Amino acid sequence: MPHWTPELLSPAGSLEKLKVSVLYGANAVYLGGQKFGLRQAADNFTYEELSEGVEFAHSRNAKVYVVLNSFLHDNDLVELPEFLYLLEELKVDAVIVSDLGVISTIKKHSNLVIHLSTQASCLNIESAKLWKNLGATRIVLGREVTIKEASLIKKATGLEIEMFVHGSMCMAFSGNCVISNYTQGRDSNRGGCAHSCRFEYSINFNDDKNDKGHDVEKRAAQKAYFMSSKDLEGIRLLPEFIEAEIDSLKVEGRNKSHHYAGTISKVYSDALRFYKEHGHFLSSDMLNWEEELRKVSHRDYTTGSLDHYAESDSIYNQREHDDNEYVVSGIVLEAIPEEHLLVDVKSAFHPKDILEVMRFSGATKKCEVQFLKSLSGVSLERSKPGTVVKIPYIEGAEKFNIIRRAIKQ
Amino acid sequence: MSNSKKIMVTHVESMDQFSLLRDHALDYKNTELEVIVGCLELSRYTNTKKEDLLKLIHHISKEQISVVLEWDGLYQEDKFIQAAAVVDSLPLHEISAIRVQDPGAVEYIKNKYPWLKIQLVLENGNHNLAGLMKWSEYLGEQCSRLILSNELSKEKLKEYASVLKAPLEILLFGRILLFYSPRLLLSPLEKDKLKKSWITASGSSEESPHSGFPLIENRHGTFMFNVKDLSLLDHLEEISQLGIAHTRVDLRFDESFNRYIKDLFELFSGKKTEADFQLKINHPRPVIKGFYNVNKTDVLFTKLKNSRTQRQDDFYLGEIVDVERNQQLALLIKTNALSENLEIVQEIKMVTPEGKIKIMILPWIKSTLGLPLLQASKNDLVLIPYTNGVTVKTQVYINKSVK
Ligand code: SF4
Repeated sequence: MPHWTPELLSPAGSLEKLKVSVLYGANAVYLGGQKFGLRQAADNFTYEELSEGVEFAHSRNAKVYVVLNSFLHDNDLVELPEFLYLLEELKVDAVIVSDLGVISTIKKHSNLVIHLSTQASCLNIESAKLWKNLGATRIVLGREVTIKEASLIKKATGLEIEMFVHGSMCMAFSGNCVISNYTQGRDSNRGGCAHSCRFEYSINFNDDKNDKGHDVEKRAAQKAYFMSSKDLEGIRLLPEFIEAEIDSLKVEGRNKSHHYAGTISKVYSDALRFYKEHGHFLSSDMLNWEEELRKVSHRDYTTGSLDHYAESDSIYNQREHDDNEYVVSGIVLEAIPEEHLLVDVKSAFHPKDILEVMRFSGATKKCEVQFLKSLSGVSLERSKPGTVVKIPYIEGAEKFNIIRRAIKQ
Repeated sequence: MSNSKKIMVTHVESMDQFSLLRDHALDYKNTELEVIVGCLELSRYTNTKKEDLLKLIHHISKEQISVVLEWDGLYQEDKFIQAAAVVDSLPLHEISAIRVQDPGAVEYIKNKYPWLKIQLVLENGNHNLAGLMKWSEYLGEQCSRLILSNELSKEKLKEYASVLKAPLEILLFGRILLFYSPRLLLSPLEKDKLKKSWITASGSSEESPHSGFPLIENRHGTFMFNVKDLSLLDHLEEISQLGIAHTRVDLRFDESFNRYIKDLFELFSGKKTEADFQLKINHPRPVIKGFYNVNKTDVLFTKLKNSRTQRQDDFYLGEIVDVERNQQLALLIKTNALSENLEIVQEIKMVTPEGKIKIMILPWIKSTLGLPLLQASKNDLVLIPYTNGVTVKTQVYINKSVK
């Protein structure tokens, strides 16, 4: 008898990334249309892409959730009903919402299933009850909630519960940061966040007051990235998530790369598949999975508030930098057995380099680049990002496989 | 002076403050007053202990002044239970209303104390009428006020005031909260590691044009405020005429209470203007009007991405993914535009990321193995003739103007 496991919900920042996430094992994906979501800088889906994405995901038994999680202003709401009709027509599985005005518009104009976005910062049982009364069937809990608390919320309300398992984190309670609104003129709650929490700040502590009662700084300033959070990694806590019967585990990152979407989906889906079959995890596998998670671009990892409320060790306190062990060399665009692989180049590589093909399931396959040619067959000494190149066919490689290269041994 | 109603809403944190307030209230009997009280466990930035809160509630309610309990923290389940226990232990029958922000607190009060009036803090988001109406409807008779976001313009405030039944309130003068985290972010930087219950600081970043963001860390977490405070003091009359009777002056910081309370009574009785406050001299930070006149925080979104590299669905074929100068272009076909295959002699339109438009009638199409093709369809990667000026990410369409 297979053991119960939660849904793995991965980001789909574009149609290609949707395919990558699903092919690498996600049970569901979340994506944004051209409006109403929180990632204004992301590619987002046109209607045709959405239609193709839903068809692709559904044909592989994966669900599609559409984010409508901006805090919308009145004029933004005007076009929403039309979009809702399209979403119903496409049979998306749910919409993810944080604004009560959006919820009431959805209920008025459609029968779409409503998931409450983490942006609404639902943190406790009473709050979940309120959102249930207002129409939500699933709650994406605030990232400040522990798995234990999530389990209590689920038991008390009977709602489906979704929690973040991996990815970047807002340091603020979601929806409770408007730094960009006032400093950059961009509404962070409508997708315009400028990531000011990642800046370095000089902090002056106030030790005194002057005769007007104004704070006075006496000590030398301290420099720190004090508002920058480490990234969430919950792989070690999968047994706790399963025990608590958390319905869905969400991976953050609609703005992130194909490499990220593919790797994280593969690692977590491999882990959940193993559990489904065996009812336990092996510590040796856990180490391998953690090693794989270190191969994508990330800040230092933390378990955030999953096992206890996040403390000072969850603060990243470093400049944003890339310190990757691996880079993604490209994505397979075409695989013709015995002939070639066509690779959409993401970072340069050379003949004789050792590349790794991440297959949709099973171990990665290493191979040496025996030849590197342009599409017209001209031999190249180096592949250039933003071009398509031919390399020899690698056994088992398929369209949308990610090809990566170790840059640190 | 106009007859439109103006009610001053302000926080009181100690008996000394209350005495001062009461004295002024006696002097300015025509100024209607409402007092907000809170305590460390419930209020995000009130430093009052529970025993002092009890005294305040008792004394203020005896003076026939409307007293409102503030419960505006956000709480994970464990912390929520503790906070709710504090609320349960207070003499709620002595207060006029409770102001809450966490939807959990809303639900808790709604069910456990259905007789208690709720002032709902909707300062975060809640920028549309549909949502505001739904909140008001959900609370029904229990809703005695909606506290609106300072990101709403006066035009919106006027519209909402004319439609919503519940009385409305906005912040008139005080700090603008930018960021609220439950994590303790300042204490890890403190040199002496003695646990302090209240830390204040200011933060500046070279990556931001603004400097001196006020910061507070306390048991609720860490708060960052804007470098400029909000002052709509000049607009008090206008706001009341918009239909918003309750305006809040938040004097909890920078010892503002003693400095401004008398002037505020005079302002509310029409005897003073903002100029009399001499904020440039007296106030520790500059003041702004925020979004009161207009909110355009979405106009920059169009600049966040290049719309030319985004496909437009009508007649869309695909994208150029490789260019070999003077040789060929590689076209990844992403759709079956018009449900047709791409064929030779078809006319295509290419829109480059810079917005240049190139038209071409296809003389040939080849596979990636170099074999000639008569047609190609969705998901195929094909080679087509090189065209000067076309780069990777150029979007390709069938050149038809009417579908
Ligand atoms: S600035 Fe940071 S904390 Fe604020 S919304 Fe953006 S990511 Fe979140």
